[in-house]
Amino acid sequence: MKEQMEVLLLDDEPIVGKRLKPALAKIGCNVEVFENPAAALDRIDQKDFDVVVTDIRMDEIDGIRVLEHVTEKSPRTKVIMITGYAMMALAREAMEKGAFDFIAKPFQPDDLRKVIAKAARALGIDIDFEIGPEAGG
Amino acid sequence: MSIIIISSDSYGIGRDMAKSTAEAMGYDFLGREILGRVAVKYEIPEERLIKALEEYPSFFGKSLKLWNRHLAYIQEAVMSDLLKDNLVCQGLAAHLYVLGVSHALRVHILSDAEESVRQLVSQEGISTEKARKRFNREKKHRRRWSMEAFNLDETDPSQYDLVISLSKIDPDEAVKLIGETISYRRFKPMTYSIKCIHDIELAARVRATLLERFPDVRVHASSGVVVVRTTALKREKKKRANIIREVAGGIPGVEYVEVHVINDFFRQSAESFR
Repeated sequence: MKEQMEVLLLDDEPIVGKRLKPALAKIGCNVEVFENPAAALDRIDQKDFDVVVTDIRMDEIDGIRVLEHVTEKSPRTKVIMITGYAMMALAREAMEKGAFDFIAKPFQPDDLRKVIAKAARALGIDIDFEIGPEAGG
Repeated sequence: MSIIIISSDSYGIGRDMAKSTAEAMGYDFLGREILGRVAVKYEIPEERLIKALEEYPSFFGKSLKLWNRHLAYIQEAVMSDLLKDNLVCQGLAAHLYVLGVSHALRVHILSDAEESVRQLVSQEGISTEKARKRFNREKKHRRRWSMEAFNLDETDPSQYDLVISLSKIDPDEAVKLIGETISYRRFKPMTYSIKCIHDIELAARVRATLLERFPDVRVHASSGVVVVRTTALKREKKKRANIIREVAGGIPGVEYVEVHVINDFFRQSAESFR
């Protein structure tokens, strides 16, 4: 039986959450969308998510801080970083600090679905999505 | 799941280190053996490809256009192989064109200079002073080659993730060090780095296809979108852009081609004097 994944999606651009929430719901994810990093951190303190998807460059609290907070609070949670300012040094820093994957914007919803499916597999959760041959992580 | 790219100030020492690393880690080794494949594909003697990796065009010697083409063909083949995982690559200048790929560990091995000089003395029967001069000349030559070929100084340590001096660390320890470094999470492939390497591979493939007809072509690729830059006379611009669009558009993996043709002022000026 297919299971549901608990996903928190944080991006200060409202369009990102609006676009990705239905795309992830299609593969059995229950998505909570946040545009405010502080509010997202509060929610992370209240609930254990399977996956946190976070933008990196945001005002006040950046995605690396969110990553550090999640890995400290819930080591099993897989953190996927998304950014429009992808650079090798930043990607390496995120991975070293425990990110599960790192995706450069713009990307197709299917790219994120593939990574979410890989995270699900790593967590032992069976979701409704087949991973193609080129998913990273 | 990662790639190790090894370069050295001595081809032979770099090759030995790369082979030892591949063996110790159970990775495949990617070296100059692939030049045979490139030679067959493009009907070029293999020796010319080796020369392209070692010599730069001189004023009266090797043609610059031909040299660029040979390097582009090598680059195309190397990039195709680098899409696979668990590889140690050496001797193909990959450290100069696999840039920005976070799962590629770039290692530079500095040979023991005094040992190299001693070897030259015994092999060539020359004085220590002459051997030292030759060693330094070769180093300068490599710097100039890398600048001419890829506009990067391969002797600059900041180009690498790890620089190992064999006068300080013995080869076995160096292999261990490389193995430990590649195990860091930062060198793990991720969606972003896999995309980067696919983009570089696609750009290399498109450039290798276009170079014969358009020797000054520059190509950038991102997620199947290819941007091609070239020069042409004003009257040829449209025709050239259409040909590039057609040729590049037919290459597998290319979804959209954007062509920027700028005026070839040198040819334009030359023609106006006729």
